[in-house]
Amino acid sequence: MERLLTGSNIRRRLPLSALSAVLLPLLLGACGHGPLLDQAADDEMVFYGPTPRIRGFDPVKAGDVASAHAISRMYEGLLQYAYLERPYRVEPMLAEAMPEVSEDGLTYTFRIRRGIYYQDDPCFVETGGKGRELRAEDFVYSIKRVADLKNASSGYWAFNDRIVGLDEFREASAGSEPTDYDLPVEGLHAPDDYTLVLQLKRPFPQLLWILTMHYAYAVPREAVEYYDGKQGRPLFINHPVGTGPYILNSWRRNYRVEYVRNPKWAETGRVELYPTVGEPGDEERGLLEMAGMPLPFIDRIVQLVVQDDSTAWLMFLTGQFNSSGISRDNFDAVVTQAHTLDPTLVEREITLAREPTLTIFYFGFNMDDPVVGQNKKLRQALTSALNTEEWVRFHNNRITRPAGPIPPGIAGYSEKESPFPFDLDRARELLAEAGYPNGIDPETGRRLQLTIDLGSAESAEVRQSVELFTSFMDRIGVVIVPTYNNWPAFLEKLERRQMQIFRLGWVADYPDAENFLQLFYGPNGSPGPNHSNYRNPEFDALYEEARVMHDSPERTALYLAMAEIVMEDCPWIFDAQPLSYSLTHSWVRNFKAHDFPYGMIKHYYIDNDIRRAWQARFAR
Amino acid sequence: MTTPPIDNLEAESRSLWADAWRELKRKRLAMFCLWVVLIYTGLAAYGEAVYRWHQAHDRTPAYQVPDLEKQYLPPSLFREMEPAREGESRVRQVARHLGTHPLGTDGLGRDVFGRVVQGTRIAFLVGIITSMIAIPIGVILGCLAGYFGGRVDDFIVWLYSTFAAIPGLLFILAIAMVVGKGLTGVYLGIGLTTWVGLCRLVRGEVMKHKARSYVQAAQALGLGHFRIIFRHILPNIFHIVIVTFTLRFPSAVNTEVIMSFLGIGVQGEPSWGIMIGNARLRLWQGVWWEMTFATLAIFGLVLAFNLLGDALRDALDPRLKEQA
Repeated sequence: MERLLTGSNIRRRLPLSALSAVLLPLLLGACGHGPLLDQAADDEMVFYGPTPRIRGFDPVKAGDVASAHAISRMYEGLLQYAYLERPYRVEPMLAEAMPEVSEDGLTYTFRIRRGIYYQDDPCFVETGGKGRELRAEDFVYSIKRVADLKNASSGYWAFNDRIVGLDEFREASAGSEPTDYDLPVEGLHAPDDYTLVLQLKRPFPQLLWILTMHYAYAVPREAVEYYDGKQGRPLFINHPVGTGPYILNSWRRNYRVEYVRNPKWAETGRVELYPTVGEPGDEERGLLEMAGMPLPFIDRIVQLVVQDDSTAWLMFLTGQFNSSGISRDNFDAVVTQAHTLDPTLVEREITLAREPTLTIFYFGFNMDDPVVGQNKKLRQALTSALNTEEWVRFHNNRITRPAGPIPPGIAGYSEKESPFPFDLDRARELLAEAGYPNGIDPETGRRLQLTIDLGSAESAEVRQSVELFTSFMDRIGVVIVPTYNNWPAFLEKLERRQMQIFRLGWVADYPDAENFLQLFYGPNGSPGPNHSNYRNPEFDALYEEARVMHDSPERTALYLAMAEIVMEDCPWIFDAQPLSYSLTHSWVRNFKAHDFPYGMIKHYYIDNDIRRAWQARFAR
Repeated sequence: MTTPPIDNLEAESRSLWADAWRELKRKRLAMFCLWVVLIYTGLAAYGEAVYRWHQAHDRTPAYQVPDLEKQYLPPSLFREMEPAREGESRVRQVARHLGTHPLGTDGLGRDVFGRVVQGTRIAFLVGIITSMIAIPIGVILGCLAGYFGGRVDDFIVWLYSTFAAIPGLLFILAIAMVVGKGLTGVYLGIGLTTWVGLCRLVRGEVMKHKARSYVQAAQALGLGHFRIIFRHILPNIFHIVIVTFTLRFPSAVNTEVIMSFLGIGVQGEPSWGIMIGNARLRLWQGVWWEMTFATLAIFGLVLAFNLLGDALRDALDPRLKEQA
């Protein structure tokens, strides 16, 4: 999922008002001590948790994390991530096996599994409401839906300019008449019910990652056409019909959502098994104890939309929720300096998982800017001036500073240090070589002044982090003037290339360095994702060579070479790779942090005995 | 019957201010508030000087330089004393302790005292500049409406009723959004929305004066309208402007603080609103000083100005004096 982030999104949460932190315990106290959630029956396995607002359940429309999670419980795609394996690997889900790829890398042939059925739903008129079997044509239809302009899908980037004829289909869907889904797309067809053929314009090995995403999930055409919002029928976006392990039981928008095990799986004898292979260490952590057992374990998932972080936190502490993130405000109270859990939480048998995320935050230079764009030494000087240790400390050790564009965990990552680590003397030297001795701009006789643009200033944390950045640059004599925009204004300026420096983040769409390196590819300049408008013929040539290659040592070598070019040219100051911290209670088993955790809940297991014992001990 | 000598008349007219001053001096609380306001003014002037000096010399002022080693130091009185330096007397040690970060440091290790003082500068800038925008608008429109009456009056009354009907803060936010974040937005936002009350007062007052004989005399002499309004009527109602100024000054400061707190006010300079916004994050972990001192600074300023404004109104209102 492509997402551009501001600094504020380093923590995906609202600033906690101090007042609410003080008042909430009182308020909760005043409301009585009854749990907000119903209690599970004795042997029923129920997962309770918070969720951000869910916008809807239409796979083509969801662009946010909460909706993607919801969708991935009820719909499935051809492929999925192997749950335990690292580095990440895809494995078949609704496909029988990995696809056959033609010699030239352009044709992908998938065999679809037999005996996969949609959930029962009135939309299947022909079968009298019984869920029908999955067909290859469903994938053709689903991908066409992403391309349909009328759906305004947030996921078209994944297929844009890749599948033969799909762009033409998109153009044809622009008119005011209903889109004709019978219009054939050359590169997207199903010769029979169990075969799907995709033809690409040029080799694109990352297609396999794309096919794990919810944009490529199988959607039954009957449901989309039946749930049109007329005659009392809900809209399709509010009424999911899928093949997945769960079905939607009840949904009260912005309040509560509940999923239950899909009865169709038992009825049709569908079997999915817990993986038997993990990465080294998984065995010791008990992640393989249930290897080979049928999925899903959990019978029911109940999630509440909790707007206030401290409420969610209290619900986790009292055992009402099974898992939680850690907000920045809570961080000091939860995690010690040594990155271990606070003893009071250890006593409550809460476990902490800390994983680097495939996300990079950066200060980008606009290479079209006459000052920073033309002056490599200046960019190198500013890169060297960012005090890594203080920066990390300011962020409460919740980040590490990446050296280059490829984060650890994916091929192409190098342990090598940045060529421009924090070094004030070197920074000053470079600045002098750049033509600004002591930061003095010879033209004006004053210190060099640069402007940084930010997406929002609502949170005090963003403001303070910018002030800190400003002071780092100030130490070598460069004055940074912040401009706080609102988000739309920021995007517009970005697209018009009107900025000098800006701060953004990139969350990987799939675990392939190509996803990060495309951000430096010349033809991707703004309004494309290369917002620095970085252009380097040498880099572009390597990128064009590597992007059509399948995973191989040669490709990794190209990735490394590209990363080095970028690190030398410094179009970005790489400043942060956030770590994700997640807390789980002792009764949640088989939990493993994943960068693309969609649909993974089917692997989780709730140990009711432990839960009851815990509640007897800690919950009133 | 003898006409009173001209110079006597002048002495009489000057004595309105002199009277007011005497009246004010009698009130101890008012004088105290005046002193408080003067001290704040001094701090603001000092802050402005510091700011200008650093601008002129192209340096970064100390109150802007973070030092993460000193994050969240409590105020001097609440923290342990550093060990004495070699050869340092006990008195000096205590003095040094009290003198370094007397009000503690913020999340980036910057001196809270220095930032509170700089906040005074922003507060005064906002108070004064918004007054310079709002008061002329209010006075001029009020005078025109009151003096000319008829359609001019209708139009101006319609205009200020419209302004008054829009919720104040929303309007300010809208203007600030259009102009852009930063001080200009704050000035215009507050300046362009807060003239209504003054305009009303002035309009009523001018209507009253218009009927007075000195205005009729001036009209009979054939003086121009604007000369009558601004040379003859305005000086007679000027005390309203002064009282309004003292009363709207603190409310402008308040509004600025709210705007900065919401993140659409001052950018990049320490303002009390920003300090409160920043301090909020750690308040529940016991970091109380930044919030407390910024709040106290606002509290003191607003209270002093309000009490002084009330006293001034009493002193300048001729009716109250007659009763006395």
